[in-house]
Amino acid sequence: MTVMDRRKFLQAGAWSASTIGLAPLVVPARSALQRNRTQRLIVVAMAGGVRTRETFGTPANVPNLMRIAHQGVVYPRARATNLGHFGATLSIFTGISEPRGIRDNVRGPDPTLFEYLRKDLGLAADDVWVSTSGGVQEANVSYSLHPDYGARYGANTLDGDGIFNAEFKHMLDTYGRPREMEADELALLQRMRASIGSPADGSREDADASATVERFLLDELRRGTQDLKGLGAADAKAFRVARNLLAVFRPRFLAIVVRDADQAHGSFNNYVQVLRRNDEMLGELWEAVQRDRELADSTALFVLPEFGRDADLNSRRGLDHGDGSADLNYVSLVCAGPDFRRGEIVQEDVRTIDVCSTACDLLGVDPRFARGKRLPRLMA
Amino acid sequence: MDFGSDLPQDPRPERTAVTPLDHGSLRCLFLDLFGRPPLAAERTAWIGRPRSELVASALCAREFWGNWLDEQLFYFLLIDNFRPTTESVLALPAQLAEGLIGAVEALHRICLSSSFDRRNPGPDTFVTVVMEQLLGLEVQRIARELEIGKKVYDGARGTFLGRSGSSQADVVHIAIEDRRAPRHLLKREYERWLRRVPSEQDLSAWVAALEQDPLAMRSILQGWFLSGAYAARLELRIPQPNRLFIRALFVDLLGRIPDDGEAERLRSALDGLANSGPLRALVARLILDSGKAPLPERASIPEPSVWIRELFERLLGRSPDAGELATFCEAFADPACRPATVMYAIVSHPEYQTW
Repeated sequence: MTVMDRRKFLQAGAWSASTIGLAPLVVPARSALQRNRTQRLIVVAMAGGVRTRETFGTPANVPNLMRIAHQGVVYPRARATNLGHFGATLSIFTGISEPRGIRDNVRGPDPTLFEYLRKDLGLAADDVWVSTSGGVQEANVSYSLHPDYGARYGANTLDGDGIFNAEFKHMLDTYGRPREMEADELALLQRMRASIGSPADGSREDADASATVERFLLDELRRGTQDLKGLGAADAKAFRVARNLLAVFRPRFLAIVVRDADQAHGSFNNYVQVLRRNDEMLGELWEAVQRDRELADSTALFVLPEFGRDADLNSRRGLDHGDGSADLNYVSLVCAGPDFRRGEIVQEDVRTIDVCSTACDLLGVDPRFARGKRLPRLMA
Repeated sequence: MDFGSDLPQDPRPERTAVTPLDHGSLRCLFLDLFGRPPLAAERTAWIGRPRSELVASALCAREFWGNWLDEQLFYFLLIDNFRPTTESVLALPAQLAEGLIGAVEALHRICLSSSFDRRNPGPDTFVTVVMEQLLGLEVQRIARELEIGKKVYDGARGTFLGRSGSSQADVVHIAIEDRRAPRHLLKREYERWLRRVPSEQDLSAWVAALEQDPLAMRSILQGWFLSGAYAARLELRIPQPNRLFIRALFVDLLGRIPDDGEAERLRSALDGLANSGPLRALVARLILDSGKAPLPERASIPEPSVWIRELFERLLGRSPDAGELATFCEAFADPACRPATVMYAIVSHPEYQTW
């Protein structure tokens, strides 16, 4: 196993294209008219705490991430803040670093990227998705409590491990499949539902959106996502669900939030295995995008951890996150997409919260409350 | 959840405590006390009796404290694989019901469990969670205390929150003995049940009572449930969390309480969606179409209006208004409408999913 001292690595100017295997590519000049081909965004938050040492510092762990990096821009000095996994992940999507309790199970006050996109672009719920493995807390990233935004502009958030687990499928099998309703019965049902309480409840649009998601869930259960097992299975499900969401809904924005790397607390080896499996799944996802001509020409990808991990192993031969080291506070951000430079490494300090502002800028949206900046030297 | 300050001020305990329970208040009170609506026999037994009797009965019941424990475990996110299975935690509902142990001591045991340790691995996470969850502190404002706590966790002697300690267990002991522990517990529990922020004066009085008598939680809770503030809460409906929805759905459709495994799996699945509405609807349809829900045959419903009125009272805790009743009766007169269709229309409606 190659273990690299990141500081020495940086001091030696090792973050060059040649060191991490990125051969300089000639970027064909494109006219201004060709700019902003990006119509869709995918943000992968490796939100279990991942050090650069185990990614770009050990390329064998992440061959697919390396391949994607070849096609895009790498920011090896993305400043992160240890706000707890949930808080730091949320800050990527709000563009605001604010402390949150580690086990806080409540939504934040600041609007998220999803809300900016849905409100300003008038996107439907099916256009903005979050696929996560983070469990109950992570569903809170989907929208904020901000009075101008909130639930009506939230992302559809789906925790693959919660829904697509074998026990749940077994349970559904016990009850059988729901009976298809005839049109007559469906009309009667809708009339009855509409009569209950206020007329605003249960609009037709909501009912249609719910029915679409319901069908997706049933289909997904048939696709076998619940059969993904073993170390890092929750993350693998989040990636698999994301890939299928792309195929079915072709969303404008898709976030994937994975958490299994946090097994590092107890085992460094398990952590590395999770990283490797996630890299495989990331490769599968990116392949799916590249194989689809429309998606390939219009989809940009951001990959980053929410923060790193401690510089040294703990007494259990694991890695905690709390030492305030550069390994914890700086992560690597990878961006690839049709409008971005290729094979570029930007040594400037940026911040993980810059992803929110950059994503909004790409899609022509104003992230009013975000405090990040647009990423430098990103656009071709 | 936003607990608005525009709510009416806490009135004195008043006569609503002895007002007979109606369908709405009975359903809400059961959901609050036991995390489920009443079963048919319980509905028959309690309707028309005073709230005070049901509260007094619940506070001595193992089921109430079992539900309380579940809420605490959920608060600490000790769920799924992190749910404690040790005897010291499993015994808590019985011991709390019998008055052998107090609520703060129950938290102490939860935080000493191996599940809590596994859920919060490493000194930084563990000490942070103890400070945040047990004491309600904002750790970033007292980073020095966190650093001391981490050293104590690792076995070094230090003065954490003003007391000396030298182990991981000491971190928990010290936090539990801190005056902010009962205060934070009482504050968050009051907000959970009463849906409003307690006054400083009341909070101080309850903390003092709990310090004087570790078993005083029961009398404090009795006061809360019989207060005018609780009567006001009954008028304030909010969406049910998924765990409550699942238990309500099982009782309402299947006439039984789900076992822990069923409830946990379904809760976990529903929690996987920020908007669990579509999956809630799917689960309700699956149960209704499974043949396992005891639904009446269409032919055995001689008076649809009576049956529909009873469904509204049972499932929504209120009678249908004239428009609702007319629409439902008209729909049910159509042969395409099954009894299951009527049930589904109600349980898939947002109003059913509030309490």
